[in-house]
Amino acid sequence: MLLTFEKMGAWRWGLGLICALVALFLLLPIVFIIALSFGDSRWLIFPPPGWTLRWYEELFADPRWIESALTSAKIGLIVTVFSVALGLLASIGLVRGRFKGKAVLRTFFLTPMVLPVVILAVALYALFLRIGLSGTLVGFVIAHVVIALPFSIIAISGALETFDPAIEDAAVVCGASPWEARLRVTLPAISHGLFSAAIFSFLISWDEVVIAIFMASPTLQTLPVRIWGTLRQDLTPVIAAASTLLVALTILLMLAAALLRKGKKA
Amino acid sequence: MSSTFALARPRMRKGTGMILPALVLLLAFFVVPVALLLSRSVTEPELGLQNYRELLASGTYAKIFFNTFLVAGLVTLITALLAFPVAWALVIMPRLLAGLLFAIVLLSMWTNLLARTYAWMVLLQQTGLINRTLMQFGLTSEPIPLVNNLTGVTIGMVYIMLPFMVLPIYGVIRKIDPAILQAAALCGATRLQALGRVLLPLAVPGIASGALMVFVMSLGYFVTPALLGGTSNMMLAEMIAQQVQSLVNWGLGGAAAFILLVVTLSLYALQLRLIGEPKGTA
Repeated sequence: MLLTFEKMGAWRWGLGLICALVALFLLLPIVFIIALSFGDSRWLIFPPPGWTLRWYEELFADPRWIESALTSAKIGLIVTVFSVALGLLASIGLVRGRFKGKAVLRTFFLTPMVLPVVILAVALYALFLRIGLSGTLVGFVIAHVVIALPFSIIAISGALETFDPAIEDAAVVCGASPWEARLRVTLPAISHGLFSAAIFSFLISWDEVVIAIFMASPTLQTLPVRIWGTLRQDLTPVIAAASTLLVALTILLMLAAALLRKGKKA
Repeated sequence: MSSTFALARPRMRKGTGMILPALVLLLAFFVVPVALLLSRSVTEPELGLQNYRELLASGTYAKIFFNTFLVAGLVTLITALLAFPVAWALVIMPRLLAGLLFAIVLLSMWTNLLARTYAWMVLLQQTGLINRTLMQFGLTSEPIPLVNNLTGVTIGMVYIMLPFMVLPIYGVIRKIDPAILQAAALCGATRLQALGRVLLPLAVPGIASGALMVFVMSLGYFVTPALLGGTSNMMLAEMIAQQVQSLVNWGLGGAAAFILLVVTLSLYALQLRLIGEPKGTA
């Protein structure tokens, strides 16, 4: 009755109405920023009196925006590589290993995901000040790998759990060397887990603000740090333009992830 | 379950070597720095518990703790109320509609955090769209202060936390057998009775899991309170950052971090015991 849409009678409309309102609430800010970024009102009047590309021109004319986006991309890519590599190794150990305390270790590996990121940010800031990694690319990468790793481990170990190791054995019986079997049989079989680990790791680093505020220096700023700094001064429409580009990137990545899922099913 | 070809995977038997790189990274750059930070709470400016005494005795800090727990509680409650019907609809709606709704939830979750917060800053300001709409419909004669206060923080955080509540509830409702609800109907239950006595109780694990996750995340949230809250309504995470960055008071900052850490990890332990490991949000 309540779990069969056709049999819900008038309740259908009630439920539909609530969902429509929530969907509106969820879409409002996103549609709003996109509209503002093309509006010609400096004071963010909505609906805008006219349309313009001025804010995009300002965005691209300012080398600091481009530079910070490139810094973010660079850090994000390095973080992705390390997070997936360490996550793959740790997942193999956690899924296939036989040793005491495995469950405890798995919980420990996931802890950075639950710990408030501000605590880690402040703690790493103190440590990096001491050992001279503050305001460096290496510092950024280390901090972001720590918070991306749990997501990488969840994605990869999830894929690994559904893969039967006997298939790897079969490859060895058929004449493959153990490493050949791992690389050519196991790795392709868990590739969807590796891809989602990579997408997550990149997005986590790319979007991360709190640690970045503490790690950044005047010469090394990621995109979120730059947006944060600008936001604290004023609500210029240039941020709407930057945000719109970020929304576009998100939609592209979501489509990529959706296609990936479809490919996996086929 | 031992494999016949165990010899082909000698290293997998133990697997400890595989774990080592991640373990070393987390020990050096997670455990050690957090431990160092916490130790400063009892060593700076001198050995003792003075920082904790100051935190618990002062009215300023009491207000910060109160704000933090109030907002986290409100956000949890509101997201649960909104997320339950959405999760329910996601399970039963025709495929196309459900897919569309799901895409909207994921899009809002994956959109850059600062972009979303910026949108709310503009929407909620005195001359913003929300206030002007309310005035146009005559619901208020003067703009309501919606930003730089806890109202703004709550709205912004509900927006951010909603997906984290929808996904676990959806996961639980999806696994409920529709026949159970049909049985309730055959036994003479009205729709309201079936909802209150069958569907809701069966969805409790999902609601509890989402609620714990949202509450814990809200307690330590930094960005949205800092941008939508204004300086007079500080929350815990912002206060920790401020103590360390602007006031260079590592002792007090460390003590506040310790309190936040203990509350967070206790709630996480509770979640592990009750529900099990948090799922990825893919």
